[in-house]
Order: sequence, then structure tokens, then C-alpha cells
Amino acid sequence: MRTLLFTIALLVAACGYAQQNPTVAPKQSQSILIMNATAHVGNGGVIENAAIGFRDGKLDLVADGKLIRLAANAYDVTIDASGQQVYPGFIATNSTLGLNELDAIRQSSDFAETGAYKPGIRSAIAYNTDSEIIPTVRFNGVLMGQITPRGGVVSGTSCVMQFDAWNWEDALIKADDGIHLNWPSVFHKHYDKGKVSVEKVKTYDQQLREIQTFFNEARAYCAVKNAPLQELRFEGLRGVFSGSQKLYVHADDAKAIQEAINFKVSQQVQHMVIVGGYDAHLVADQLKQNDIPVLLRRVHELPMYAEDDVDLPYKLPALLHAAGVTFALQNEGDMERMGARNLPFYAGTAVAYGLPYEEAVRSLTQAPAKILGIDSRCGTLEVGKDATLFISKGDALDMRTNALTHAFIQGRSVLLRSKQTDLYEKYKQKYQGR
Amino acid sequence: MRIFVMWLALITVVMANAQPTFPYNGILPKDVTSVAFTHATIFTDYQTRMDEATLVIEKGRVVAVGKDIAIPANAVVMDMKGKFIYPSFIDLFCDYGLGEAAPTKATEPHQRMRGGSANETPKGAFGWNDAINADYSAAANFTCKEDAAKEMRGIGFGAVLTHKMDGIVRGSGALVTLGSEPNQSLLRPQASSHYSFNKGTSTTGYPSSLMGSIALLRQSYYDAQWYARGGANEERNLSLEAMNGLSGLPAFFDAGDKWNLFRADKVGDEFGVQYIMKTNGTEYQRMSEVAATHATLVVPLAFPEVYDVSDPYVSRLVGLDEMKHWEMAPSNCAMLAIQKIPFAITSHGLNERAQFWKNLRKAVKRGLSESDALKSLTATPAQLLNATSELGSLRAGSWANFFIASESIFNESAVMHENWVQGERFVIEAAKQIKLVGRYELKLPLHSYELKVKEVEGKTKASIQHVKAAKKDDGTAKNDTLNYNVNITMAGELLTISFEANDEYYSGVLRLAGDISDDRISWSGRAQDAAGNWMDWKALQMPKEEKIGDKKESGEKGKENETKEVLGEMIFPFTAYGMKEKPKAETVWIQNATVWTCESSGKIENGQVLMHNGKIVAVGKSLDASKYPQARIIDARGKHVTPGIIDEHSHIALASVNEGEQACSAEVEEARVVWPEDIDIYRQLSGGVTCSQLLHGSANPIGGQSALIKLHWGGNAEDMLVDNAPGFIKFALGENVKQSNWYNDGSRFPQTRMGVEQLYYDHFIRAREYAAAHMKSPVVSATNNKRNAAIVSPLIAPRVDLEMQTLNEILNHQRFVTCHSYVQSEINMLMHVADSMHFKLNTFTHILEGYKVADKMKAHGAGASSFSDWWAYKYEVKDAIPYNGALMWEQGITVAFNSDDAEMARRLNQEAAKAVKYGNVPEEEALKFVTLNPAKLLHIDNRTGSLAPGKDADVVIWSENPLCIYAKAEKTFVDGICYFDSERDAQMRKEMATERARLIQKMLSAKSAGEPTRTPGFKDKKHFHCDTLDQTSQGISFK
Repeated sequence: MRTLLFTIALLVAACGYAQQNPTVAPKQSQSILIMNATAHVGNGGVIENAAIGFRDGKLDLVADGKLIRLAANAYDVTIDASGQQVYPGFIATNSTLGLNELDAIRQSSDFAETGAYKPGIRSAIAYNTDSEIIPTVRFNGVLMGQITPRGGVVSGTSCVMQFDAWNWEDALIKADDGIHLNWPSVFHKHYDKGKVSVEKVKTYDQQLREIQTFFNEARAYCAVKNAPLQELRFEGLRGVFSGSQKLYVHADDAKAIQEAINFKVSQQVQHMVIVGGYDAHLVADQLKQNDIPVLLRRVHELPMYAEDDVDLPYKLPALLHAAGVTFALQNEGDMERMGARNLPFYAGTAVAYGLPYEEAVRSLTQAPAKILGIDSRCGTLEVGKDATLFISKGDALDMRTNALTHAFIQGRSVLLRSKQTDLYEKYKQKYQGR
Repeated sequence: MRIFVMWLALITVVMANAQPTFPYNGILPKDVTSVAFTHATIFTDYQTRMDEATLVIEKGRVVAVGKDIAIPANAVVMDMKGKFIYPSFIDLFCDYGLGEAAPTKATEPHQRMRGGSANETPKGAFGWNDAINADYSAAANFTCKEDAAKEMRGIGFGAVLTHKMDGIVRGSGALVTLGSEPNQSLLRPQASSHYSFNKGTSTTGYPSSLMGSIALLRQSYYDAQWYARGGANEERNLSLEAMNGLSGLPAFFDAGDKWNLFRADKVGDEFGVQYIMKTNGTEYQRMSEVAATHATLVVPLAFPEVYDVSDPYVSRLVGLDEMKHWEMAPSNCAMLAIQKIPFAITSHGLNERAQFWKNLRKAVKRGLSESDALKSLTATPAQLLNATSELGSLRAGSWANFFIASESIFNESAVMHENWVQGERFVIEAAKQIKLVGRYELKLPLHSYELKVKEVEGKTKASIQHVKAAKKDDGTAKNDTLNYNVNITMAGELLTISFEANDEYYSGVLRLAGDISDDRISWSGRAQDAAGNWMDWKALQMPKEEKIGDKKESGEKGKENETKEVLGEMIFPFTAYGMKEKPKAETVWIQNATVWTCESSGKIENGQVLMHNGKIVAVGKSLDASKYPQARIIDARGKHVTPGIIDEHSHIALASVNEGEQACSAEVEEARVVWPEDIDIYRQLSGGVTCSQLLHGSANPIGGQSALIKLHWGGNAEDMLVDNAPGFIKFALGENVKQSNWYNDGSRFPQTRMGVEQLYYDHFIRAREYAAAHMKSPVVSATNNKRNAAIVSPLIAPRVDLEMQTLNEILNHQRFVTCHSYVQSEINMLMHVADSMHFKLNTFTHILEGYKVADKMKAHGAGASSFSDWWAYKYEVKDAIPYNGALMWEQGITVAFNSDDAEMARRLNQEAAKAVKYGNVPEEEALKFVTLNPAKLLHIDNRTGSLAPGKDADVVIWSENPLCIYAKAEKTFVDGICYFDSERDAQMRKEMATERARLIQKMLSAKSAGEPTRTPGFKDKKHFHCDTLDQTSQGISFK
């Protein structure tokens, strides 16, 4: 009997650290007021001693706490966040979160469909809300993401998700926000005998013609209104031509970006976004004139050329800001899913290398919201917007002080637990027990 | 003209009678005459010129040379008035007459292992590794190849050293002439031995890396020594026998890249061999190191073609190093000569042989003296082969190997007429070489015209410009300029010229026929005018004009420019952010800073650091620096000072990382493949890194030996390697060593974690036995290369086995283990293996499940060097947590955070800050994760890792708290030398941009001057992680 009790006790203890993703937070039932925090609005503004209130998932108060007077029972719950910082939930753009669990495990991978032209491929339906990586991204303030398919020439259709949901339908903020086109590489890396040489791609022109042909045909197809569904590939581009979807062009080289801009004009694409954009600062004027924003490649990255400024990737955000190009940060590359939790620190590095602080906050909040077309609901701390925000004890862009006490997605109080914190608690117990 | 006719009439000496053993079909021709070349300018050797001299040859050899030589009665006399005769050249680097390297026989890699292996391909009583081709004999495979010989003769060569360019040990080379009969040509069958780091077509899997090649070569020398002292009684091995047969021959090493030259020299030193190094023409970039090898070089004349940099975006693909090398390459020989570094020149590597003279003359223009040029093609190669009495000069008894030229061979207009090889005459298509180009006074009875002849795209174009004085209309003279197109054709030595005149002297088509004088400066003959009148004509070459006319055509303009040519400055290292001068250790007094000592004194506000002569002199609040009045004072108000960051796990600055072909590669050493030109060294200095452990990869359970470097940017490998650094070796566990993430199923043992344990036991038991055997036997000194096969003692010293030696160093606690590890089971297992073998695992690296067995690690005494927050990239890291570092630290383990990543390494301060974020490690302790703790793990905490008097001055000045994301390294000192300074960095960026701009302009002018161009394409470097396999990185670094 004693053994049984002991076993039960053990089981209970184990359940405490179940290593399952935390339960999805229920709908906001109590109104919440955050007082005395420094609020980073996301639009470049800051409010010291802010009063931020939200009910039914929407912000209904964002004000300077000193200037307003509230009835004592105006909100059900009041959080005193003196000395703390409030930010709109950060947005991970061009992300594959939920589409792969362990890099090396092919079985867990769902982000790259085979084939060249597949605009109809939709990331939304493969998004795994139960990915164990998502809670570990959340606990650093990244609460939303653009989930993006990869590979081929036209990879498919991305969507925008919030990071606390039972299933992909619950998670959707915006379905099918845009189509992703991988611009052909101007240069390619060639590995031979340990030497890596970079050469001009000989088939570049041919690849470009193929893309143009595909878009020409798709545009002709889409020009027929109310036609029966015939060609899925062309059908997938309908939104790009009508303007309801963005065309995300993945390109880094100046020439490629220049040609993508020409493509926007010749194909009458209404909304184009450059993804990558290592050279975007070299063609900033053209990007601005054509109203093309950039989802900028990793800030924490080595320069492409040995002669580049050693800190060029660090200061690209500042260069784009100075040039007046709208941009958001993203982190496509090695270990990108688990590394998405470091996005706030990319913004921090950008500040160290010249980007004004509130602009850095904007590059993870309002700017991506605008680029993704969700800015009417998300991206800033403004009345009427979703209450998707978090409170950090200190500066969230600095790993030294990024420490979340609360996170809310659409007003729902999200648990900041994760498999990783569970393992931490579990093994702390192992050593405390000794 | 008569001379030419006579020359052509002379019958080539028949060599058949020189082969007495061969039957002859017909009446046997005999070589019973001699040939006398009279009135020539003869270079009897590279520095002795005789004018009006005579050369007499007979039966293929020189009989006499000099002035006032008696001409034998049986001599055919050839008047060489005005001609130049040179001893013909010797090329030491080619595979003439041997054909192509044998194609790969099998597609499956195989190696002959004891106990058999699935891939074994038996091939007889040779060694186990196909890259050791010691038994190859160039002589046995040699035959004359007329096409190739003709090309070589055409540029002045008469003899070559030929060898098969395949494998690490390439067997013997043969000294042959470029004659037509193999039995005559083969002068010396065993003339040389040849080596490289390139396994070539060998299908044996091992080695798969540069360091593997080095280790295999060293092991082969040791095996050959063992074989000679009695190993032959245990195993018959024709490869080792052949290897011993090569000893004593001049040894040639195909090094290529300058860094490989130093690597090869080090191997040579170990075995008492001074290699003659075939280089790739980049030696000028490291002249003092090249001189220190005392090696004679074999230097190519291949210079890089100009890059097409007309597109500003595309031109970014051309690195500063490549641009500068394009400019500097032609100066290489001149710079070697100035440094008195002996060298021979090879024609190998030229796209076409015709470039040879163009490039040699270019090298002379850059300051190589003509005699040094000749020496490098004659005396030096002859001397290297101990063949000075036979080749490389013209003296009584030497081979009659010489060529005849129209004038000094260094003149652009010089023409090579003939090349004689062992008395055998080869005419170098004379007609083609007569160049009509020039300015002539064309004398006709009524008028002398100025005729200009130029060559455009290989075609002769001629024109006459005639100024016709026009009759004055208004008192001023008005001249009409007329242009006549002139047709010139040449058949043999005969000329036909025609043009249509329309002036005051002639009108209508004039037709001229004639021939060229022997000295080629005048033409003469008969002409017919439009009316059919015959007349004499003459054309005399005029001196080169200076001011008028099209200068571009003749190449003269280029020559003038080049004499005034401005060359860029040398930089160290020869790449982006290279420095013009190597910085020196400074005396620096940092004041008013927040000093993180990483010592018991903790963090000192308003602190000071004083460093002198590479060491920290004092650290404190207010220091007495009176002894150092010259100290540079740095006011670091508001700034933070920390010890330099130490990256315990790095793969930068390496030419090769993984030798993963065998499960144990303890014999390979990263220290031998340090690559000092890696731009990531500078980038990491900009992130405050001062010291890195360069680890072998994780492809096998027992990896290779690590290298410990300080980031002495601009230095060579020796400058960077830390002196007397404790030895380390990489072990690895888990998915990489069991090849779990390979595309195909692996076949190498082990394939499970269970097998990994057995492999360790097996190797350590063998190591013990090895040590026991060596205890019993006479000690074999590692540098003793004297072999005495005659004395076979019944108890011969056992083989030196580099792999077993290294494992014994571990067992004897002379070498420490850094083990790549992830999951708790295997970590536990390895500690048991080590405990039972009585050694300690020094460091577990990665160790992402260390938090699960921290107590066991503590008990064993192992340290941990981990990632701050990596996980989820493969199955074995699914339980990795960012709190790992903090949990292990709490258990009292020495914890470091490392990079294993060239990008992250320059933000290791940020990674340390994550220990604060994940697990609340106090800030000062967190900083130690990247300073003192890695120093402890590397056993160098007595000299670096913290700020204390007497320690190395590895110091970083940060703009703010180093754990803060906004902190930037402003100055990084390594051993007191400031290698990164943000202000100097800004200056360097400007200078680099200016230098690039200059070179781009120069390249564009070269392009418009018609030089052949190549499309830009840059050779990037590979950024290594520990699972990067450099399977194909055969020997060559990345440039």
C-alpha cells in the first residue's frame, strides 16, 4: 500500500512537469488593466506610466496613466507593472514554425513541397499548433508569425498565425496572405574539392523567362471573370493580380531586386514585398518609389563578401531606416524555428548599430503587421486592436533583461511554460532532492 | 637569304646509329660529321656571354665552345652572324611522355584493411593505401610524345624532369630530353622522388582531408623506416620497399599554395628531407616564411587573367586578394630573386605555352634580371638534379642542348629559330615567325613613301599615308592627306606587295615582288607600275617612331606604362582587412573603466588596467605607472574592460576539419592545417575574441588533435598557435559518429551507441599493448631517418604508429579530451570507459543533456562547454534546454559557452548573457562562461582568461556592459597587440575601398587594351561546423 501511495505521489509529481505544451488559454472573460508600465506602442511612440486596458480580447484603453482617472472597478484585474515594459506581441515573418519539429528528422518536415510552380500550396493546413518549439518562442515575446512555405520557384501561400491555439483554424489571423516567389539566383555557390566558388548562374535569363511566361499565362487565365476552376496553378495567383494577396519575392542581390521591381510593373502586381534584401540598401530609392517593403534577412549573420563592413548585417536595418524603406526583421536560415525566439535580440543588435530603439520595436510589430496586411488588428498598442501584447521585466530587446511576466494573445493570458521550462523544473528538483 | 637556304638543305643528323643494339633496315647511316656554329653570340651559361663565338658539337654533345675555336675538318659550318645561342631550358615540373593520370578504377572507395572489408579490392603485395604510389617509375612508363615535345621546344626547353602527378607519394621521376628517340632521351631513370598532399585518383577512402594526407605521409615515412630495419621479415610490402628506394633522390613536393609549402616543409624537417617545392606563385605574400624554409622553389609563370569588372555589382565577386594577386603575380620571381630565394621556373600551368615568353618578359620588366631568369631555367634546375655537367650550360662534354634566336631572347621582337636537342636539330617554323611589323621607308625611283605594317588579329595590315602638297589657293598651303591600303603577302621568304597610288608621283596600281634580307631590316626587289614599266625598289626599316602615328598597335605603349607602373602595397594577411604593417605590442594604460577582472577582485568601477610587453602589469583602482611614461593612456570613461573572449569550440582559421573516413583518426592534427587568412579571424576580433580552440569535427568517435590559437591577425600559423599549449583531442558520440544523419545507411563501424563503447575499449587496449611493446624494444627516435637494413636485430623496434602514440598520450594524461556529446546515456558511458582506463574526460562539448547528469560529471571531474540555447536540430537534441548551462554551473561544473559557428563566435558575450536570462547566473559568473571558464577547460587559465598581473594582455574594451546587447567591442588586444580598433577599422574600410577602386580602374584599362578577361566568380570559404565533412577538400585551402 505504501508502495502504491509512493507511486501515486511520483505520478502526481511527474504530471506537474508533464512536458506537454501548456493548455491553450481560454477566451478573455475578465477585463484586465496594466498600470505603470512603459509602453512601446509599436508605431514609434512610447508612453511612460501607461495604463493599458483590454476586454473581450480588444484594447479599450491605451493612455498616459497620469492623465486619466479610472473608477476603481473599471477593470476586473489590475496588474501593477511598475518599472516594467509592455510591447505589442512580436511577429516572426517568413517563418516555418509549426512546419517542422526537428531539422534532421525528415518525417517532421512539411515546409517544402516538391515541384517548381505551386502557388496553391497552403501553409495554413500543415501548421502544427502542438509544435513544442512554439511555446519556447512565445516566452521571449514572439506571439505571432507568418508561416511560410519554401522551395521551388513559386513556393506557395503563407498565412499569419497567432501562437496559442487548439488547431490551425483557431490560430489563423489571416489566411493566405501572400504568394512566395523565389527569384532565381544571380550567383550560385559551387562546392568542389573544399573550394567554394561563386559563379554567375548561366541559366538565369532562361529561368527568368520561365517565370515571366508562367505569370503571363496566369494573368491571362485570371482575366476571365467567373470562369470555372480549371488550372490550380494559375488559380493560385488570382489574389496577386487582384491585389488581395501580396507577392513576396525572395531576393538578395541588387540585380535580382532591380529586376523584381521591373517585374512588379510589367506584371501589374499591386503589392510586392522583398524577402531577404541583403542588397536592398543599394536600391533603396527604387524600392521606396515602388512602395516595396523588405522582410530583411538575419541581422545575426556574417557579411557575404570578405570586403564588406564586418558589421554590415548588423547595420542593414539602420541603413534601410535611414533610406526610408519599410522593413521588418525575420530569421530564415539554419536553425530558424528554434532561433525565432532570438528575433527580439536581432532588433537589439540593430539598435546597437544605429537603428533608433522604437524603430527597432516597430520592425517586429507595426512594420510586419503592415507588410502582412494585419495592421488593422495587430502590431500596435492602440484602442480597438487585438490585445496581443506582453509584459517584460526589462528591455525585451536585450537578452540580459528580456524576462516575460505576462503574455496575452487576443486578451487571453498565455501560459509561459514550455517543454524546456518543464525539464528545467524537473531537473532542478533532481538536484534539490539530493 | 643564302644562309637560310643552306640551313634548310642541311639534313637532320640521324640518330639511329646511337642505338647499337637495334637492328637496322637498310644501309646504316652514321654520325661522322660535326657541326660548327660560327660568329654567334653564345651564352655558355646564364651569366657568360661571348660575342663572335663558335660552338662545335659532335655526336650529340658539345665539343668546344668559345672564341678562336679551331673548326674541325669534318664540320658542317653554320654562319650564325647576328644570332644568339642559349643553353636550352630545363622544366622540373611536368608529366611529359607519361600520358594522362590513370582514370579512377573503381567508383566505390576501398581500402585494404586487416580482417577484410566490404570494399576491399585485392591488388597484390603493395601497401594498403592507393595514394602511396612509391612503386611508380616514370622511366618505365616513358615514351617520346612529339606533339608535347614540339610545344616545349618551341619555347626553349630541351630537357624535362617528368613524373606522374597523382597521389601523395608519386614514385620516381625521370630526367629526359625532348628528343625523338626514347632510348636517347631518357637520361636518368631514377632522377627524383615526388610527393604531394593530394591523394589524386586514389580510390582508398582515407585520407579525406588535408590533415589526413599529412598524417598518411608521415606514417608512410615511419613505416618505411620500420620496414628497413626489419619489418620486411614480418610483412612483404612492395610500396614500402619502393619508398625506401626513393631515399636520397632529390625530393620534389607539389605544394601549390604557400601555406601548404610550410606544411610540407615541416614534414620534411621531421624526416631530414629538404623538399624542393613546386609553388603556385603566391610566395611573395609570405616572403620571410618562404625564406625560412630554405627550400628551393619551382615557380610557375602562370599569371591570373584580368577580371572583367565592368559591372559594379558583379565586381563585388572579385576579392581584394584576387585583385591584388592579379597585379602582383608577375612580380613574384623578381621578389624571390631580391630575397635570394633560389628558384627554378616551370612552364607548367600556362593555358598555352605561347604565354611563356610574354610572361617571362613581364617578370623581367618587374625587376627580374635577365641572368636570374636564365639561371632559373638552366643552372638552377640542372644543379637540383646534380646534372650541371650535362645540362644547363654549354661546355665541352655537356649535351648539345641549345636554341638559336634572332636576337636577345628578352627582346619582344626576338624570334626563336631552332632548338637542338642532343645534337638533333628541330626547326621552329621560321617563316611564321618573321614579323613584318614596323615602319619602312619604301624607296621607288620617283619617291620614297612611308609604309606602316601592323598586325591586327593575326593578319598583316599595311598602309601608306601620303601628304600631297595642294596648290595654294589663298596663299596658305593646304595639304591633302591620302591613305593607301597596301596588300602584303609573304610566301616563304618572298614578298608580294601592291597598292594603288594617286598622287603627284605615281598613279594606278604598283606591284612589287622581292625578298627579305637576312637581318630582316630591309626588303628589296623589282616592281612594275601601272604602265608596265619595271623598276627596282627597296624598303628600309625606320627607327621606332616616338611621337606620331598609332603607337597602340606595337605594344610599345604598354611597355612604357609598365615601367612606370605603380603597384599596391603588401598587406598581411593577403586578404580583406589585411594590414600594411604588423602591429606591435603596446604599453597601454586604460583608465576610468568598469573592469571585469574575472578574478576574486570582481568588477572594479573606475578601474584601470596597465599592460606592457604583451602582459598585464597591473589591474586596480589607481595604478602606479611611473615606470611606463611612454604608456598610451586610453580614457575608457563609461566603458567596460574584460578579458578577451575564448571560444572553446571553433572551426575558423582551418583548411580542413574532419578526417572522418576511419572511426579513429587520432593521428591527424588541426595544428598542421591552420589557415591564417580566414577573414573570420578579423571578424571575431571585432567581437572581442582573442583565443580559439580549433577542433576536429565529429564524424568519428576518436577524432583528431585540436589546435589552440590566439587571433594574431596577419601572422602565420606558427604566430597564431599558442606556445606550449596543452594537447587536446576531439572525441565524439551520438548521431554523427554512428552516421545517423547520412543520406545512405553507413557501413563503417560503429552504427549504434553500443558499438561506440566497444570501439573505445578496443582502441585503448591496443594503445596499451603498443606502449608495452615499445617499452620492451629499443627506442626509435622520431627524427631518426637513418635506415640500416643490413643489421636486422632479432628484436626490431616496433613501428611508430602515430595513432597509437596519440592514444597513449591520453592514457598518460599528456593529452586532454574534448568530447562532442549530447544525450545522457552516452555521456555516462564514456565516463565509465575513462574511469576504467584511468584517465579523465576533460571537457564535454555541446553536452546539451549535461543537466541530466551534472552530478555524475562533477564526480568524474569533467567540464562542460555548451551552446547557450541551441536545440531541435536533430533527434538527440530534442531535450536540450537553455537552462543547461545554469544547471551544470549550479552543480559546480566549470561551464563555458562556445560557438561552433563562425557567426555566433563574434557575439559570444551575448551568448554568455543568456546564462543570466535562462537560469539567473550572476552577471560576473556568466561572463566567465566565455573567458575564465574556457581558459580553465583549456588549461591556460594560468596565462589568460582573467585580468591579473602577469597574465597575457588579452583585453577587450567594450562600449557598455559586455552582457548587454548594445555592447560593441571597441578595441581588442591579443598579447598586448591591438588587432581590432573600431576607429582603425573605419579607416581600413576607406583604404580598402580606395585600393579596390584603383585596381578596378587598372583592370578596366587592361581589358580595353585587349587583354583576355575572365568572368568574376569568387571563391568563398566554407564555414565549418563540427559535422561538416570536407570529404573532397583535398589539400587545398580556399584560395
